[in-house]
Amino acid sequence: MNFSVKNGTPVIAWLLVGFAFMFGLLTDANADPAKEVRIATVAYNVNGKIGFNGTAAIVEEQGWLKEELKKQGVTLTWVPVTAQSVGVTINEGFANKSIDFAGYGDLPSIILNSGGIETRIVVPGGRGNNVYLVVPPNSTAKTLADLKGKRIALHRGRPWEIAFARYVAASGFKFSDFKISNLNPGAGAAALAAGNVDAFVTLSDAYQLEDKKVGKIIWSTKSAAQDWKMRAELWGAKDFIAQNPAITQIIATAYVRAVYWTSQEEHLDDYLKIANQNGQPENVFRREYSNDSVPWKIRWSPLFDDLVLDHYANVAQYSRQANLIRKDVNTKQLFDARFLNAAIKELKLEGYWQPRKVALKGA
Amino acid sequence: MKKIRDLANSLHTNALFFVSPILLLLAWAWVCSAGIFPEQILVSPAGVYQTAHELWGSGELQSHLHDSLYRLVLGFAIGVLLGMVFGVLMGLFKPIDAFFAPSFNALRQVPTIAFIPMLVMIFGVEETFKIVVVAKAAFFPITMATYDAVKGIPRSYFEVSKVYQLSHFSLVRHVILPATVPPILTGLRLALGRSWMVLVAAELIAADSGIGQMMEMGRQMFRIDIVLVGVLVTGLIGFLLDRSLRSVETHLGRWQQS
Repeated sequence: MNFSVKNGTPVIAWLLVGFAFMFGLLTDANADPAKEVRIATVAYNVNGKIGFNGTAAIVEEQGWLKEELKKQGVTLTWVPVTAQSVGVTINEGFANKSIDFAGYGDLPSIILNSGGIETRIVVPGGRGNNVYLVVPPNSTAKTLADLKGKRIALHRGRPWEIAFARYVAASGFKFSDFKISNLNPGAGAAALAAGNVDAFVTLSDAYQLEDKKVGKIIWSTKSAAQDWKMRAELWGAKDFIAQNPAITQIIATAYVRAVYWTSQEEHLDDYLKIANQNGQPENVFRREYSNDSVPWKIRWSPLFDDLVLDHYANVAQYSRQANLIRKDVNTKQLFDARFLNAAIKELKLEGYWQPRKVALKGA
Repeated sequence: MKKIRDLANSLHTNALFFVSPILLLLAWAWVCSAGIFPEQILVSPAGVYQTAHELWGSGELQSHLHDSLYRLVLGFAIGVLLGMVFGVLMGLFKPIDAFFAPSFNALRQVPTIAFIPMLVMIFGVEETFKIVVVAKAAFFPITMATYDAVKGIPRSYFEVSKVYQLSHFSLVRHVILPATVPPILTGLRLALGRSWMVLVAAELIAADSGIGQMMEMGRQMFRIDIVLVGVLVTGLIGFLLDRSLRSVETHLGRWQQS
């Protein structure tokens, strides 16, 4: 039996070449086209070193994401964003396709989607961060009512606007009852310190203002309903997710791994050291996390539950009413639970966190 | 025949005048239709026109314009007044010149924008701060122009006025003022342009209203169409201000020649 063709090459060799070629085609067809994934995250420059904020810092520290992507031939690029203008920078990044994923807040995301650039929540960011209302230390104001007609520094379009808007509405007021100064967090803190504004709406840096004796917290979402807290999630560009489901899955899994690690009480100290490179003292974070209505483990729940769903419905409704957006946003389509659910399954974390009421079903 | 040629010439110049804006508009429209940038980032001229129309219809644009122009007029008037007084004093009296020159020249080099954080600290974020910013932006070029103009008056003018024993008031009114008008007008034009730019920048940073704030809010709300309306309005206002001072300059130039 002669297995060779005319030129003497064995047929089996040709077959092998053919199989290899077909296999190559098949694997190429299955692999995601992206060779690089760019994730924008809030970052701080401390002593000439760039440090990431929150879960991104843990993901980077664990190194798992980078390794897994490398195995697929994909490079991981973190895109640092200054805390002074996160929403605007990331929205512009999504619009001009210079980023694929981003960890950032609720209101800017709604503004972006209303503008026609579609993004999806891949992994929800837990139960949110607290929002604070700070007044000068010698202020006699004790509640919002005392600030009627006064000047309040608030960076418009940032996530804490929603929490503050709820407080304003719940207290029976409107934004027009106050003089709102649209100042970024740095300028707002400076204006408070210089006595140029009567109050300042901000995040946990409120404690720093208290420590420096330039501010006094008179209200925070710690005492308010859970869904008043500001939310930030891992968002992905809709097109990128559709074209690169395998890469998206690796990223989702990496984020869930990170929050699972963080959610264990014994890692609290380590978490504070790693995710605390933003120049704020550790005790600021301890106070942000202490005496909270949400326990530590639950705080990190990445589940798509009614808390997330209702929150976004509320943000969209507020943005429309406040005339921040022109077009309605169907918030239900913002959730892409596939990757999270697969990650929970892969990491065997079913039942570790309990959804509030209903969890969103994903394929 | 000459008249016809003049008319043709002026038509030619006027036509040329419109060529570059039209080309710019066409290039903008072409880049939009080519889809080089997402439509949310580079809004088409038609989209910007529609937004401008809406902003005008709701009265929002007028209210921002009113606030910005009010700040400009007030701040500019203060800056010009102080700058002219200071410039004349420095130009006329050597000791004053020697005393202020080093700090004046050092401060003149610092961009007004760089003063904004400090000015916010001192004057707060209310109106005063913006008026001070405009006044500061106008003050330095006006002082410089006035100083140079006064220095440029031929010595013989002063000698003659000495012979006629002119009072200080008459000296300023009849000699210094007429001799310094043309260079000061050029200084005014420069100062007005700068003041307008600096005001819009200050409004971007801290304000409740004004064209700059309209643009900043537009950016925060991902409404680049509003930002572009702001860009166009800022450019148009700047152009008109410059144009009107230029015509004053030409008018006074003619008067001087006659």
